[in-house]
Amino acid sequence: MADDVHEIEDRILAYVRAELLASGETVGREDDLLSELLDSVAVLRLAGFVDQEFGLTTRPQDFVVENFESAASIARYIRRSHTARQGG
Amino acid sequence: MIVEAAQHRAESVAVRCGGESLLYGELLLRAGAVAHTLRDLGVRRQDRVAVLVGKGFAVPASFYGVLAAGATLVPIDPNSPVRQIVRILRAVGARHLVTEPKRAGVVAEALGHCPDVAHVVGLEEIEGRDDVFCMPWNEVGTRHETELPDIAVLASDPSYVLHTSGSTGVPKLIRHTHSSAMSFVGWAADEYSLTPDDRLSNHASHHTCFATFDFYAAAYAGAATVVLTPAVLKMPGSLSALMERERLSVWYSVPTALVQLSLRGVLEARDLSALRWILFAGETFPEKHLRRLRQQLPGARFSHVYGSTEVNVCTCYHLPEQEAPSPLPIGRPCANAIADVVDEELRPVADGEEGELLICGDTVMSGYWNEPGETAASSEQVFVRRPAGGGFENVFFRTGDRVRRLADGNLTFGGRADDQIKVRGHRVELGEVESALLSVEGVEHAAAFAVPDSEGSSKILAAVVGSVGSADTVVAQLRGRLPVHAVPSRVELLDTLPRTPTGKVDRKALRRSARTEERKG
Repeated sequence: MADDVHEIEDRILAYVRAELLASGETVGREDDLLSELLDSVAVLRLAGFVDQEFGLTTRPQDFVVENFESAASIARYIRRSHTARQGG
Repeated sequence: MIVEAAQHRAESVAVRCGGESLLYGELLLRAGAVAHTLRDLGVRRQDRVAVLVGKGFAVPASFYGVLAAGATLVPIDPNSPVRQIVRILRAVGARHLVTEPKRAGVVAEALGHCPDVAHVVGLEEIEGRDDVFCMPWNEVGTRHETELPDIAVLASDPSYVLHTSGSTGVPKLIRHTHSSAMSFVGWAADEYSLTPDDRLSNHASHHTCFATFDFYAAAYAGAATVVLTPAVLKMPGSLSALMERERLSVWYSVPTALVQLSLRGVLEARDLSALRWILFAGETFPEKHLRRLRQQLPGARFSHVYGSTEVNVCTCYHLPEQEAPSPLPIGRPCANAIADVVDEELRPVADGEEGELLICGDTVMSGYWNEPGETAASSEQVFVRRPAGGGFENVFFRTGDRVRRLADGNLTFGGRADDQIKVRGHRVELGEVESALLSVEGVEHAAAFAVPDSEGSSKILAAVVGSVGSADTVVAQLRGRLPVHAVPSRVELLDTLPRTPTGKVDRKALRRSARTEERKG
C-alpha cells in the first residue's frame, strides 16, 4: 500500500515538475506546494489533473488546504476518495 | 499611530496570522526593537530601508519599526525575480535590508549585485559576504525598550516607496509622504466607520497600496488585521472557513479573489454575518459574479473603490441596496480629492463625454523615485500644473484612465489610454512582456496581447516569430524573467506577425484568431 501511495505521489510530482514549475525548480513529496511554489492558476490546473488522472470529481468543499498542501496530502485525499467511493 | 493604539489597547489584538495573535502592546515592542536596531546600524531620517518578507508578523513589525526609525520604508514583493529585487534596491540606494531566514538564498544572490547594502536584519549570515553585517531576528528580539526612538519626522517626509511589478524593464517606484499616507488612512477609517471591534482582511502582499488600508487603517482605528496566507488564498473553501472563524468584518481585495470565493468558496455553508463591508478595486467586477456574490452575502455592503498606487484611493461608489447600475460607476471623488475629466489638450470635457481623469488630492504621491538611469517613470510626465489664482498652482495627477462623468456626478471607467492591462489585479504593461519575449534567444519579433479569461479578468497571450525550438521553451525561459502573472498563458509560433496598414502589429487580428482557436479547442 505504501508503494501505491508513493506511486501516486510520484505521478503528481512528475506533473508538477513538467507542467507547473520553472525549469530547475525542485519539489519533494512533503514540500509545501501552496505557499510559494504554485500560483492560483497552477493550483487549479493541478486540481484538474488530479480529477482527470485519478477519476475524481473534486467538489468545492474538497478544494481545501488540507487536501492540496503537498504531493503527500493529495495522495491521501485521492485514496480517501477512492475508498469512500468503493465503500459507498 | 500604533503608539496610541498600544497605549489605549495594549491587550487588544493588532494582527492575526495562522491562528495566532499579536497584541498592540507586543507589536509596539517588536517595532521598537526594529527601530532601535536600525538606528544603531546607522539608519537616519529619510534613509531607505528595504523590507523583503512574506506574509506574517514580520510585516507589521518591520513596517512600524522602519517608520519609527524615521526612515523610508521600501517594501519589496517577495515573489519578485532576483533581478527585480536588485533593481529596486539599487534604484532607491538602500543600505539596509530587513528580511527573514527563508529568503537567505535570494538575498545572497541579490546582494551580489548591490554593493551598497551593508546591513541585513533577519539573517544569521550571508555566505561568503563577511562585509555585510547581519543581525538575526532573535537578537533583535532581545531589545526591550518601551520607548520608540525620539526623532522629528515631518508630514512631508517620505513614508514609503512602493513598486509596481514592472515586468521586464523597470518597476515604477512610487514615493508617498506621511501626509499622503495618513490622508488616505484617515479618510478610509472615517468612510467605513472602522472601530476597534473590526477585523480587516489582509489579502494583498505587503508591497501594494491595498496593504496600506489593511494595516494602517486598522491601526488608526485600533482594529485588528487578519493576515490571509498565500496557501489559504489559493483554496477558496479554506478561505471562507477562515473568514467565518476569524469573524472578518471588512474585506478589501481585487475582484478576482471575490469571484473565486463566490464560485468555489462554499459560502452557503459558512456564517459570514460579521462581514459588513466588502471593498474591491483594481479591475472591473464582472456583473454576473458580483450579482451572485451579493445574493450570497446579503448582510454586507459593497464599495467599488478606484485609485492606483500613485494616488491611493481617490473615488468610491457604494452599491445601492437594489440592483446596481451597469456599468458599475467608480463613484465620486473622495472628500480629500478633486477630479477633472479632460481632453488631449487638458481642457475639461462636458459631462457624459469621455476624457482622461485628472486627480488633485491629499492622497496623491509626491512623485516617482527617480535616480538617473535607473527608473523609467518620470514625475514630469504625470503631473500637470494648473493655475489656482493668486499666482498659485494646483498639481493634478494624470491617471491615464479614460472616464465619463454622469449627470448624477458619478464617474464611469472606460479603459486605459495606454497598453497597461490588469491580470488578476496585477498591473502589466504589454510592452514590457514583449521586451521579455524578445530577450529570449532566437525570438525576432514578438507581440503580447490580452484576451478576457473565463472569470472576468484578462489573460496574456503572445505570438513570436523566430527560430526557437518550441513555444514551451519560450514560456519556460520567461518564468524566471517575469512575475508569474505576467507570463503569457500561451505562446504561439508564427511565420510573420499580422500588421496594420501603417505597419504596427495588429493586436486586434491576434485577439480575433486567438478567440477562434479557443472556440475550436
